[in-house]
Amino acid sequence: CSKELDQEPRSILEETFYNTAAEAEAAVNAIFPPIRLGAQGIASYNATLECHSDYAYGRGSWAQFNDFSGLDATNTNRVGDFWNSFYLAIRNANLVIRHVPEGNAMNDEEKNRYVAEAKFMRAWCYFHLVRNWGGVPLRIESNMEEKDVPRSSVEEVYALIDADLRFAESYLPEDNAAQPGRPTKWMAKTVLSDYLLTNNKYQEARDKALELVQSGLFSLVPIQQVDDFERIFGAGVGVTDEEVFHFKYTREGQGNYYPFIINHPETGYFMKGGGKGAYAQYSNVNNNFYKEWSDLDLRKQLWYPMNIGLGEGTVLQKKFIDPAAANEYGAINDFPVYRYAEVLLLFAEAEARVNGVTAEALDALNQVKRRAYGREINTASDIDYQIGSFSPETLIDSILQERAYEFQFEGKRWFDLKRTGKAAEILQKNKGVAIADKHYLWPIPLAELNYNQGITENNPGY
Amino acid sequence: QEIPTPTIPGDTTNTKTQDTITGIVRDEQGNALPGVSVMVKGKPNTGTTTDPNGRYKATVGGNTILVFSYTGYGSKEERIGKRKEVDVVLRAEQEALEEVVVIGYGSVKKRDLTGSVAQVKATEINAFPTSNALQSLSGRAPGVQVYQGSGAPGPAMSVRIRGANSILGSNEPLYVVDGFPLSGSNPTILNNADIESMEILKDASATAIYGSRGANGVVIITTKQGGVEGTGSATQVDFEANYGIQQIRKKLDLMTGPEYATFYNLRAANDGVTPYFTQEQINNLPSFDWQDFIFRSAPIKSTSLNIGGGNERTQFSVGGSVLAQDGIIKGSDYDRYSLRGSIQHQISDKLTVDANATLSRLITGRKDSNGGARGNSLISSILGAPPALTPYDDNGGYRLLSNAFNIAAPDIINPLNWINEETNKTEANLVLANAAVTYKPISDINIKLLTGIENRDDRENMYRTNRYQGSTGEAKITANNEQSRLVELTANYNKIWNERHNFSALAGVTYQDFINSYVMGSGQGFISNVSGWDNLGGALVPLVPASGYNKSTLLSYLARVNYTLDDKYLFTVSFRADGSSRYRTDSRWGYFPSGAFAWRVSQEDFMKDHNWISDLKLRVSWGKTGTQIEDFYPTFNPLAGGYTVFGQDLHLAFAPETDLPNRDLKWETTEQIDAGLDFGVLDNRLVFTADYYRKTTKDLLNAVPLPTSMGYATTFQNVGQIRNSGVELGLNANIFKGDFKWDVTANIAFNRSKVLKLYAGADIFGDELKMNVVSDSRTILREGLQRGLFFGYLEDGYDEEGQIKYKDLNGDGSISNADRTVIGNPNPDFIYGLNSSMSYKNFDFTFFIQGMTGNDIFNASSIGSTVDYVSGLNMVRDVLNNHWTPENPNAKYPVISNTVNARVSDRWIEDGSFLRLRNIQLAYNLPVEKFNLGWLKRLQVYVSGQNLLTLTNYSWYDPEMPSSGSDYLSYPIAKTYTFGVKAGF
Repeated sequence: CSKELDQEPRSILEETFYNTAAEAEAAVNAIFPPIRLGAQGIASYNATLECHSDYAYGRGSWAQFNDFSGLDATNTNRVGDFWNSFYLAIRNANLVIRHVPEGNAMNDEEKNRYVAEAKFMRAWCYFHLVRNWGGVPLRIESNMEEKDVPRSSVEEVYALIDADLRFAESYLPEDNAAQPGRPTKWMAKTVLSDYLLTNNKYQEARDKALELVQSGLFSLVPIQQVDDFERIFGAGVGVTDEEVFHFKYTREGQGNYYPFIINHPETGYFMKGGGKGAYAQYSNVNNNFYKEWSDLDLRKQLWYPMNIGLGEGTVLQKKFIDPAAANEYGAINDFPVYRYAEVLLLFAEAEARVNGVTAEALDALNQVKRRAYGREINTASDIDYQIGSFSPETLIDSILQERAYEFQFEGKRWFDLKRTGKAAEILQKNKGVAIADKHYLWPIPLAELNYNQGITENNPGY
Repeated sequence: QEIPTPTIPGDTTNTKTQDTITGIVRDEQGNALPGVSVMVKGKPNTGTTTDPNGRYKATVGGNTILVFSYTGYGSKEERIGKRKEVDVVLRAEQEALEEVVVIGYGSVKKRDLTGSVAQVKATEINAFPTSNALQSLSGRAPGVQVYQGSGAPGPAMSVRIRGANSILGSNEPLYVVDGFPLSGSNPTILNNADIESMEILKDASATAIYGSRGANGVVIITTKQGGVEGTGSATQVDFEANYGIQQIRKKLDLMTGPEYATFYNLRAANDGVTPYFTQEQINNLPSFDWQDFIFRSAPIKSTSLNIGGGNERTQFSVGGSVLAQDGIIKGSDYDRYSLRGSIQHQISDKLTVDANATLSRLITGRKDSNGGARGNSLISSILGAPPALTPYDDNGGYRLLSNAFNIAAPDIINPLNWINEETNKTEANLVLANAAVTYKPISDINIKLLTGIENRDDRENMYRTNRYQGSTGEAKITANNEQSRLVELTANYNKIWNERHNFSALAGVTYQDFINSYVMGSGQGFISNVSGWDNLGGALVPLVPASGYNKSTLLSYLARVNYTLDDKYLFTVSFRADGSSRYRTDSRWGYFPSGAFAWRVSQEDFMKDHNWISDLKLRVSWGKTGTQIEDFYPTFNPLAGGYTVFGQDLHLAFAPETDLPNRDLKWETTEQIDAGLDFGVLDNRLVFTADYYRKTTKDLLNAVPLPTSMGYATTFQNVGQIRNSGVELGLNANIFKGDFKWDVTANIAFNRSKVLKLYAGADIFGDELKMNVVSDSRTILREGLQRGLFFGYLEDGYDEEGQIKYKDLNGDGSISNADRTVIGNPNPDFIYGLNSSMSYKNFDFTFFIQGMTGNDIFNASSIGSTVDYVSGLNMVRDVLNNHWTPENPNAKYPVISNTVNARVSDRWIEDGSFLRLRNIQLAYNLPVEKFNLGWLKRLQVYVSGQNLLTLTNYSWYDPEMPSSGSDYLSYPIAKTYTFGVKAGF
């Protein structure tokens, strides 16, 4: 009679999954949604990072991020959501790393590939966690179900990132043409280069970036006028020559939320006719960054004036627009995590830091600038940076400034300001805000402090 | 005045001794009873009724037995013999000593009860119109608390019997309808008029027979059945109809348009920003009352018809009802159509068959009405909408509130969007049917095979038009099926030896399964709104469909023995073994024993001299019951399907959801002792009941929150122990008899909970509040304290800038998590109910008071309207008049500024005590006997009011809360004026 009590759940279970390549692939795919999608994912995260920059401001509840005067519950909660999203992705990566090697219907090559994909994403998540929160609890496949895990040191987190990325570099495929956006060796090398540069390991950072430059697989998309940026960032452009690591979107509930955050309902840039858009980020022509910027730079023309009741000179950005989006979660612009322009600038900076002012560094830098001014990318032009005008320090400054122009609204600037130790100085100069030490790191979410007995201290100042 | 006396046609079976019998039927007070059914036993078709003077006339044979029956009175049989005149006295049923109480898998005489069982009868259940029969339990029985957390039409009620034992699981009692243990919580399938009685089993000796589902008490609902088995009675027809008007009980005092502008100019001044409004603008601003605009008077109508009767071998009951309730928010409504039938038939002396079936259709129209913040939900937008704005713009469209002023919240939505452009309609079809065959091989033994099915198909339809702000049209349909099947075989044995030993035994085996499944389809982007949700294929963006299936089974063995010695010493023991598919093999079976002893002291010889004591019984009981985990597969880790995108294509993704499974889960068990006293004096004119109980729940299941870095939010653990103990007192008094009658029933109950043990002694935080200005957990479970306490910061006035200061409890110089403490207690000190019913001649006057005392409410509803100054929301007027300024440093509200320093603090805790006049009613019984209409037996008209008076200090809409004690922008509860009619034919 007790047989009646036996269960056969009609669900896919952790206990019985991860055997075939298709199952492993679906498990890897689950790493992406928490960070790609919705109001807790990359879009809001990116918006938050941009509010910390010297050129952009947040409207309404986002304003606190550019004020650097502390976070209220709304924003403590908001950054807590990003923590949650990264760790949810890490859990899903850990499940792959734990179970796939035991899969009974895959060969070793397949197993290594999926584990490499998971390790790549895990490293990428920890790279963001460590820069925003410092030493965080390291959850890996062996301790993922332990409740209380103390914070590791920053060095320990980077050690895991290093190990994961090197595994990924070894076992990821070169090509993802069948599924653009899946991790490749080149993506691993790019993240390696970025993390190494962040950790002052310039020689190796230079070499990793150089491998991409020399691969001949990537090039900048040329433009002539401001609307041509659509060829890089526009809705539905597909895979460009410049793409290294992008999050991909489709309309069916799988859209990019960021265009909703930045666009204004009256411009028609987003959901034309539907009238949505939070215009939560803006800048002002009186900001020093903006004032000192050459009007010839087509990237500056992405800013357009709009009165949103926040005073004269307010400008909004049209870098990511999708007039055909069906709803706020329906834009299909890629989110560029790494573009070839960044590889060039990673190379240029690392090269300059290792070898000083070199023609190679200048060339990489000039390629990015020429494209932005609508010039031939590989032809010397009147707007080029000139080799004779630089010391190594001023070259590095120019590269950082070029990064600031090039990656606006791509979430790079705040990390650049922090890693170079110039955040306080530049934010004071361009935005007129003073920044206290505590604002370099975000608070660990209350839910983590309440339930993880291994963590006894929040970041300083919280 | 001479009127023809009704006559029963001759008894043709015995023509030899035809005689005319006459007589008068009276009640115990000597009043003549008109309309009493009189008939020859076994010949139901030949009945008559008494005339307005209570007289009857029958021409029958001498050997006949006449049966007299009348609603509300015990029926009586009289063997005629050689008498010519037979006068009869019928006893009102409440006073009948041989009252029977339904218990699990059987029934007992009320006087033979050993456990703690409360009974609520049809008259109380039907006292005033309610859309959920459980509402009528409120205040009726000691220790039974009914929570109505929302005033939305057709609400799900929540019932707590003797406090809440479980943290994770449901604390709802088990509902058993005509022997069928329901799978869902609320018996919404039934209409009040369908119900004959509800028995509430409270102590473990009564509930242990339901084993793993008994820990929260059991409510046994018996629907109306036809006449009494073996007697037959005249067909009775009861009709009831009523009409009520519901209105919002209270409005909140919010700012006017000019006040609103003044307020935000004040904020600008405090923050050193240019004022938003010029004085001229302020003077010309309109004042729009959004509350008046949205809340309306709404009707509630109900009609029911019940027909019952039968003969000696077959009895039937058929009932139908319609309830239509509109909510006080337009577009919210609830309609219930139900049809019920029952039939019993005696095939032979040994074989009886009976069947019950209820069919209902429930249509619920919902308006988004819970939670949210800053105007992104209906209630919060009604409160937050700037009074300086009208609902329509110059073109007649819905005004966009979010960018009307630069200060407005980006998320505020014009409430008309929800009212007019979004429809949420759930259509549910419910069936509850069972059939049983009873076989009596010998007179002492009864074997019953019962099978039943409960089925609920509901379809939730949602459509948001393309006129809704920012919407391109959205449609979603979810079809759910919940099904439970039951097979039950029980055997009963009853025997009396030597008139001293009364022995009965029950044994049985039951099998019940529970199956849930659903399918969901949705789409976005509709060019036309004409088809609503009925054309998903017309969506520009079809969304991914979903479906799911769950099944669990419960296999049980049960037994019970009752033994009474000399009608003085009563013993009950019971046992149930439950095997549940929800646990792994080694912890699958749970065993639930109980025992009880009662001593009827009043029956002892030494009490003979105390005639004034009519009943004195002492009871003690002990037993174990369980709580089943709600999750069907709690020990497995299911992976949920989703998608990610590579290239331009969707790719499948599978990952666990938020619960980390615990493979070692075991049963949660509750051990309860009860000691009670039943005391009746003066022929039971005054009946007093008292109970003391102590319930200890062990291996308490709980969702233990996990740090978010795990990626899982919770896991289930058998973490601890909770104790509930308390005292319940009940009083039933017939103060006056005779022309002026006055009955009073009253009850009061005191319950205290205590958390005895938690996993690793660690606090458990819960009830995460996520509003923009305040986000934190707000409840705590801590060893040694009551359950469900509110937890947060204590305020300590204001700093020199007018920002809220908090007490630094640990003295470390900064405010952190460690400075939180208990700030409130949602558990009442006591709950009570008082029902008074008076009648004089043809008038009945009743009122019913109910309330609770000493409980706190966490008023999250007020957060947006009192401290969220960031987003241009409207505020309660008090904020404008009573905020911090250097001159007013002890103000109620902080400085009006863009920076708000609010936390989960004692600011939100309010005294939630209330005393409510639940119902007041004046009824007039028309003197139908004077109308000389044979077919009309009774006709009553009444006017009544529900919730007309509420005494409370609570500041928001209504103090009636969900059991958590948390008010979070819920749908306001209404007051109602009702007119009704009841008729009997």
